[in-house]
Amino acid sequence: MNELQKRNLRRFVKNPGSMLGSILALIMILLALFAPLISGDPLAQNLSERLQAPSSSHFLGTDQLGRDVFSRVLQGARISLRLGLIVVSLSLLVGSVIGLAAGLLGGFWDDFLMRITDIFLAFPALILAMAISAALGPNLNNVMIAVAAVSWPSYARLLRAQVLAIKHVEFVDAARALGATQGRLAFRHLLPNSITPLMVQASFDIGSAILTAAGLSFIGFGAQPPIPEWGAMVSETRNFINEAPWASSSPAIAILLTVLAFNLLGDGIRDVLDPRSSQR
Amino acid sequence: MLKRMLILALGLFSFMAFAQSARQSTLVVGVDLGDLITLDPQVSYEFSGSLITDNLYETLVRFEGNDLSEVQPSLASTWSVETQADGSHKIVFNLRDASFSSGNPVTAADVVYSFDRAIGIAGPSSFLITDVAKMTVGSTVAVDDQTVELNIPADANPNIVLNLLTFNIGGIVDSKVVMEHEVDGDFGSTWLRENSAGSGPYVLERWDAGAQVILTANENASRVGPIKRVILRNMQESSAQQAALESGEIDVAYNFTPEAFNAAKSNPDYTALQTDSFQMTYLGMNSGEGKAFADNRIRQAVRYAVDQDGIINDLLGGLGRKMQTIIPFGLFASDDTLYYERDVEKAKSLLAEAGADGLSVEFLVSTGSCGGGIPCADLGAKIQSDLAEVGINANIRQLPQSELLDIYRAQGAELVVVGWSPDYPDPDGNATPLGDYNAKSLAWRNDWNNPEASELAAAAALEADSAKRGDLYGQLTKLVAEEGPFAILYQPSVPIVTRAYVQDFIRNAQGNVDFDKVSKTE
Amino acid sequence: MLAYLFRRLGYLIFVIWGVSFAAFFIAQIVPGDPIAAALGSNARDAQIEAYRIKTGLDKPVWVQYGRYLSRLSQGDLGNSLRTRRPIASDLRDFFPATLELTLAALLFAILFGIPTGLLAALFKDTLIDVGVRSLALIGGATPIYWLAILMISIFHTKLGWLPGPGRLDAFLIPPPELTNIMTIDTLLARDFEAFVDSLRHLVLPAIVLGAFSTALLARMVRNTMIEVLAQDYIRTARAKGISERWVILKHALRNGALPILTVLGNLLGSLLTGAVLTETIFSWPGIGSYATSSALSLDFPAVMGVTLVAGLTYAGINLLVDILYAFFDPRISYA
Repeated sequence: MNELQKRNLRRFVKNPGSMLGSILALIMILLALFAPLISGDPLAQNLSERLQAPSSSHFLGTDQLGRDVFSRVLQGARISLRLGLIVVSLSLLVGSVIGLAAGLLGGFWDDFLMRITDIFLAFPALILAMAISAALGPNLNNVMIAVAAVSWPSYARLLRAQVLAIKHVEFVDAARALGATQGRLAFRHLLPNSITPLMVQASFDIGSAILTAAGLSFIGFGAQPPIPEWGAMVSETRNFINEAPWASSSPAIAILLTVLAFNLLGDGIRDVLDPRSSQR
Repeated sequence: MLKRMLILALGLFSFMAFAQSARQSTLVVGVDLGDLITLDPQVSYEFSGSLITDNLYETLVRFEGNDLSEVQPSLASTWSVETQADGSHKIVFNLRDASFSSGNPVTAADVVYSFDRAIGIAGPSSFLITDVAKMTVGSTVAVDDQTVELNIPADANPNIVLNLLTFNIGGIVDSKVVMEHEVDGDFGSTWLRENSAGSGPYVLERWDAGAQVILTANENASRVGPIKRVILRNMQESSAQQAALESGEIDVAYNFTPEAFNAAKSNPDYTALQTDSFQMTYLGMNSGEGKAFADNRIRQAVRYAVDQDGIINDLLGGLGRKMQTIIPFGLFASDDTLYYERDVEKAKSLLAEAGADGLSVEFLVSTGSCGGGIPCADLGAKIQSDLAEVGINANIRQLPQSELLDIYRAQGAELVVVGWSPDYPDPDGNATPLGDYNAKSLAWRNDWNNPEASELAAAAALEADSAKRGDLYGQLTKLVAEEGPFAILYQPSVPIVTRAYVQDFIRNAQGNVDFDKVSKTE
Repeated sequence: MLAYLFRRLGYLIFVIWGVSFAAFFIAQIVPGDPIAAALGSNARDAQIEAYRIKTGLDKPVWVQYGRYLSRLSQGDLGNSLRTRRPIASDLRDFFPATLELTLAALLFAILFGIPTGLLAALFKDTLIDVGVRSLALIGGATPIYWLAILMISIFHTKLGWLPGPGRLDAFLIPPPELTNIMTIDTLLARDFEAFVDSLRHLVLPAIVLGAFSTALLARMVRNTMIEVLAQDYIRTARAKGISERWVILKHALRNGALPILTVLGNLLGSLLTGAVLTETIFSWPGIGSYATSSALSLDFPAVMGVTLVAGLTYAGINLLVDILYAFFDPRISYA
C-alpha cells in the first residue's frame, strides 16, 4: 500500500458518513448471506396468526397470511442485493462497451452511439422500465433487464467523457507512439484510469436499482408472490397500514436503509478520491 | 345596522340550510372505477359501467331490489310469450307511457333501434343478444308506437331472453337524439360513451376520466327519489375509502378489506352490508390429454387438499360462502351439497394411486384482486401452501389479469385461480360455459370434454318444466363437482359499508343499485 | 448561437424519432394478445378477429410501423385498445392533472430545498448542516409509495388535517373543465371555496412527490453554495465590507444559479417518473396512473403514447435548460 492509498483510506475511515455507509452495507450483506441461518421460513403461513404485532416470537410481527415479517425481510435482502449487483454489472458492461467505443472511435460512431444514449435518457425511467417489464412478462429476471435498460446510459456517458479526457494525456500518446493498438489502449490504460468514477456511480446505482425494482414490484410489474421482494411486500400489505403498520413499514425501511447505505458509500468514495469535493 | 346584520345572518343561515339540503340529496360513493371504459349501454360490459348505466337507462323488464327470481315490468307494462307451430317464440311487449331525458316519448321505434344497435355495434356483450338470445336485425319489430314484437328461434329459451334483457345491453336509448350524433356509422357510440340519452332516473352530468362520474336527477323520469345527485368517486385503494368514509367525505364505500369490514360491523356510525353476488372463485385445472390434471384422481386430490374453510374464515374474514358446485346460491337449482371434505391423507393417497408423487405445475395468479376483494396474490400463496402439504408443487406465475386470461383462453393454463360470474341470472349462465365443452368457454379452456355433461347442459337450457329442469341440473352439478376440471373455492360476498344515515342502499346479486331508492336521514 | 440551436433541434427530432421507434418495438414483444385482453374474458373468437382487423393489428409489423409513423407525423397517436378512444384525447384529459401535480411538487422542492440547502451551507459543519444533510440523505432513499401511504395514514386518517386521495371534495360542485387543472379551473369559475379545497388536496401528493427532489436540491444547493462562497470574489466582497446577507444573495446565489438550473431540469424528469407511483396511490387522474392501467391491460398503443409525450416533455425541458444555460453563462460559447 503506497502513501496515497494509505492517506485515502485514512480519509475514508475518518469520514462519519462513509463509515456509517460501509457498516450499514456490511450488515445488509451479512444479513443477506446468512439469512437462511437466521430466519425462519419466509413462506410459512399461519392464517390464525394474521397481522400480529411485533413480539418475541415474531420480531417484526406477521403479515396478512400470518407469515413472519422478519424472515421475509431478511430473505428480501438476498433478493434485493443480488438484483442490485446484477443490474449494476449488466449496465456497467453495456454502458462501458458503448462509452468506450464512442470515445475511442470518435466521429460518426461517437455521434451515433451518443444519440442512442440520449434516446434512452429521454425516457422517464420508470415508464420505460414498466413498458419493458410488461412486454417481457413480469418476473424478477425481466425486472433486472428493465432496470438495466434504463441505467446503462450514465455509464456510457461517464466512460466516454473519461476516454476523451485521457485520450490526449501524455502516457496515452506515448503508448500510441510505441504502436499499441486501439483495443490494448482501451483496456491497459483507459479502463484503470476510469475505475474511480465508475465505482462512485456503481455504488449510487445499486441503491437506485433496488429502489426502481421495488417500485416496479409495487405496481405489479415485478417479483411474483410469494417471493419476499421488498417492494412487493409493501404493496401486498399496504391496505393494512392502519391496523398493521409494521407489515408494510418493515420492508420499506429495509429498502430505505439499503439505499441509504450505498448512497453514503458512494459519497464516501467520491470524497476520498476527489479531494476537491472533500472540502464540501 | 342591526337590520343589516339580521339580513346578513338570515342570508348566511339560508345558505347553510341550502348547503345542508344539498348534502342531504347528494350521495357520494367511493368505488374503484378503474374498469370504466364507456357509459354506452350497448357497449359497456364492466362492473362499474353496468352500475352507472342501469341508473341512466331503463330496460323493458327488470328485477326489483334483491329478488332475482322473476322479471318485473319496467318500460314494458305487460308482455306475453307465444310459442309458434315451428317451435320458435314470439314475445310481445306493451310499453307504458314514459319519456326520455330529452322530453321525447319512449316508443316502439326506440326499442327496435336499441336492440338493432346492440347487434350493429357488436360490443363485448353483444353475444348475449346474438348468441344466447339468437336475435338478428329484424327480430325486433314495432307493431305500433306502444307495441313491440320480439321473434326468437326455437333453440333460444324465452325465459333466458327475458332475463338477459334486464342487463344494460337491453337499455333503451333515445333513438332521435342518438341518431343525431352518429358519426361514420358508429351508432353514436362515440358520443354516447360520455353522454346519456335514456329514461332512467338520472342523467349523466359529467365524467372526469380517472376521477369521478356525476349523475343528476332526470327531470322527465318516472322513477324519482330523494337523491338528486350521485357522485361516484374513483378510489382504488381500500385504505383511501376507509379514511374517506370515516371523515364523511363519502357516504358509501365499495372496497373495504375483510378486516376493515368486520371492524365496521360494530361501529354505530356505519352500516355494514354483506351483499350477495353470483360470482365464484375457483381453481381451473387443465384436464387435456397428457396434461398435468388429465387424471381425475389428481383433480380430486386438489379438491381434497384445498382448505376452503381456512380461505373463507381467515383470508376472507367470512366474506364468502363455501361452495363446491357450479350453480351458486341464489340461482334456480343451486346445489349446496358438499361433495368433499378437506382430507390431506386422502389427497396424498389419490396422488399416489395416480402415480403423481412430486407433481409440479405452473400456477397462474392475477396481479389484481380476486373474489371478495382480496389480492389474488394472497389467495394464490394460500393455495400454494395447501397444495404443498399434499405434495403438489405449484409454482406461482403472477400476471396481469389481461395476460392471464389470454393464456387461459388458449387452453394454456395448467393451474389457474380466477373468478367467474354468469352473464345472466339463470343456471344456464353457468351450466353451459362450465359444463359444455362445445360452448368454448370454461370447460373448453380447461380442456375437459365430457359428452354427458354437454348433453345435460344443453337439455336443461331448453327444458320448460321446472321440476325436470332442476333434476337435470342436479345431475350436472354432481357430475362436475366429482369429475370436472374445477375446484370451486367460494362464492364471495361484496362488502359495502355505508354511513348509518344512508337508507335503502340495496345492491342485488347482479351488482345493480337503484340510486333513486336510496335516501339519507340526518 | 443560432447554429447551436439548430443542431440541438436536430438532435431533438432524432431523439423523438428514436423514442417512438423504441416504444413501437417494445410493444411488439408483448407475449399476450392485446386484443383478447381488451375484449375481456367472455368475448367470442369471431369478435376478437373482427376487432383485430379493425385495429389493423392483423397486418405485418412493417406495415403497422409505416402506418404508425405516418399517423404520428400528423400528431395522431392511434386509438387505445382499452378505452377505445384516440390516445391523444385521453392524454389531453390526463396530462393537465400530472402537470399540476408535478409543478406543485417542484414548487415544494424549490421552496424547501433551496432555503435549507442555503442554510446548511452558511452553517457548514454545525448541527443545522448535519440535520439538513441527514434529512436529505433519508429523503433520497425513501420509497415514494411507502411515504405516500404513510402520509395518508398519518395526516388524513389519523389526524384528519388534510384530505386524502382525489382532487376536490365530492360535495363541492366541480368547476367546468376548461384547462383540466383543478386549481385554475376553480379560480376561473370564481369558486373560492373549491379553489381552497383543491389546494388542500394538492398538499399531500405534492409533498410526497416532491420529497425526493427536495432532498436532491438541498444537497445540490448546499454543495454549490459552499464552493461559491469559497471563491475569491466573495472573499473580496466581504473584505470590502459589504454586509454578509448582501454578499450571499447577490453574488453567491447568482453564480450558483446555473448548476441549480440544470438540476431543476433533471428533476422534472424524475418527477414524471415519481408521478407513476404517486398518482396510483392518490387516485390522481394523470398520465402516470393512465400509463399503469394501460400497461396492466397490455394496451401498448396507449403506453407508447404516454412514453412519447413524457419523452418529448423531458427532451424539451432539457433543451430549454441548455439554451438558458448558454444564454446566461457568458463563459460558455457554442460554436
